Amino acid sequence: MRGFWPIFKRELFAYFVTPLAFVLILAFVFWQGLHFYLLVRSFAQATEASIDQGPVQAFFGGDVFYYLPLILICPAITMRLFAEERRSGTIETLLTTPVSSVGVVLAKFTAAMVAYLAMWAPTLLYIVIMKRAGDIDWRVVGTSYLGVLGVGAQYIALGTMMSAVARSQLVALILSSIVILGFFLLGLGEFVLDEGPARELCAYMSVWSQMGELSKGIVDSRRLVLDGSLTLFPLFVTNRLVDAWRWG
Amino acid sequence: MTAAISVEKLTKRYGVHAAVDDVSFEVARGEVVGFLGPNGAGKSTTLRILVGFLGATSGRARIEGHDVVDDPDAARSALGYMPEAVPLYPEMRVREYLRFRAELKGVGRAARVSAVGRAMDLARIKDVADTLIEHLSKGYRQRVGLADALVSDPRVLVLDEPTAGMDPNQIREVRDLIKSLGGEHTVLLSTHILPEVEASCARVVVIDKGRLVAEGKPGELARLRTPPRLEVIVRGTWKAAVARVAEVKLLDSRTEGDVEHLTLETPMDEDDRATAAEKLVEALVADGVRIRSVAAGKATLEEVFTALTSEEKVEEVAT
Repeated sequence: MRGFWPIFKRELFAYFVTPLAFVLILAFVFWQGLHFYLLVRSFAQATEASIDQGPVQAFFGGDVFYYLPLILICPAITMRLFAEERRSGTIETLLTTPVSSVGVVLAKFTAAMVAYLAMWAPTLLYIVIMKRAGDIDWRVVGTSYLGVLGVGAQYIALGTMMSAVARSQLVALILSSIVILGFFLLGLGEFVLDEGPARELCAYMSVWSQMGELSKGIVDSRRLVLDGSLTLFPLFVTNRLVDAWRWG
Repeated sequence: MTAAISVEKLTKRYGVHAAVDDVSFEVARGEVVGFLGPNGAGKSTTLRILVGFLGATSGRARIEGHDVVDDPDAARSALGYMPEAVPLYPEMRVREYLRFRAELKGVGRAARVSAVGRAMDLARIKDVADTLIEHLSKGYRQRVGLADALVSDPRVLVLDEPTAGMDPNQIREVRDLIKSLGGEHTVLLSTHILPEVEASCARVVVIDKGRLVAEGKPGELARLRTPPRLEVIVRGTWKAAVARVAEVKLLDSRTEGDVEHLTLETPMDEDDRATAAEKLVEALVADGVRIRSVAAGKATLEEVFTALTSEEKVEEVAT
């Protein structure tokens, strides 16, 4: 873990001193604002309200508005992590200091997670607005944000790995978007395939179902284990890649 | 006493091509050593293995007795490294960057401000401390890289082409700085610019095509390898006289007005050289040529280098 703290600070600095983080946050907030506006309109016209299909459920994964930005914005957050250091050559000065590869990888991943969560922070305002119009169960809000964290962690970890695989930011962006989209579509198999092991697998992998459960306050440990595995595996691969650059 | 830098039978192969082939050398504590070779000789590859950025196919490298593979953190902690291209983060200010680097290298919080100040003083970049790195000229970037190498006050400095892209004044400053670092610090600097080695290094290691071809003091190498020169300035028809003296060989002549500048090669042996000079002067006087000056020419390392690394001489001079 040696080197974690200075690298973490520098990565966060790089996000917020270059306009990247602000552009992404702006795009994301604009998108979620539109999402929220459409939800408010739709719920205002609804005649019947159901307990487990309220606005919180709709906002956190009830429709495709939740997933679409993640497929693009998570890779955009992570694309520069390693690709830029390798393009500019700073990876050489970085890795010749007494830092551990694990420290480097975790510092970069954590900084990207902080940027990702900073992107979600403004959405808390929508919950406050919803609270004015009706009752909010804060525990359900909590599990919803747990879903945001879990899904984000695996996408950010995957993006971190792709940024180490690809030498260019653009290739890293495209690769991670494709893989994230692939995972997302695989999950949709749950609604398409016939009964059988394939459908079971798809249901297990489905972020849609995961968010559906969490936004209703259901915490299934299998989902969390899956999130954890899908986060740790890419980070492990990234760590091996960094070691390979050092000794290749 | 263990050597500050020790490289033992280092080999790096890419497929069948050996970028570094069985290179061994040592650098004692406090020594300033030049690592010399033409582009593509394997200098950067060797240095990268030494600083632990590249794995060797075989062989060992140690910094202050710490093996760079078995004990990388200890080796890297003792080290200040400046890579050839001097990669920097363009979005940071110079001071921010050096603070970050100092923290990475384990300089404690309390010591960091003074460490950064000292490094900026040494590299003479105080005036750009608050400038964004992306706005710096090549020469300044180079010096920021140097400050980075110095910031943790490491015992061993490995500098890959430290003066590339600097103007003559900056080059002189950096050479003086490197010289002054010797004694307390051990410096290994690579270059393909020979005057650099002559100006700042006590010893030189020459590498070509991945192999070590020579090692010694810059002066020693010069005396060792090129036949001494004689620089003669004359007026008149000199050709016949020079041709009569078998011991000297005409290398070059250039005309400046009615004066001729001649460069002649003389025998390696000192007595023979003296005799040759006598004979030459005699012959010139006999022909009525007016001699304005006869001086012993100093072979530059540039010539040594060409001699050492040209194909046919490599084997014979290898140490």
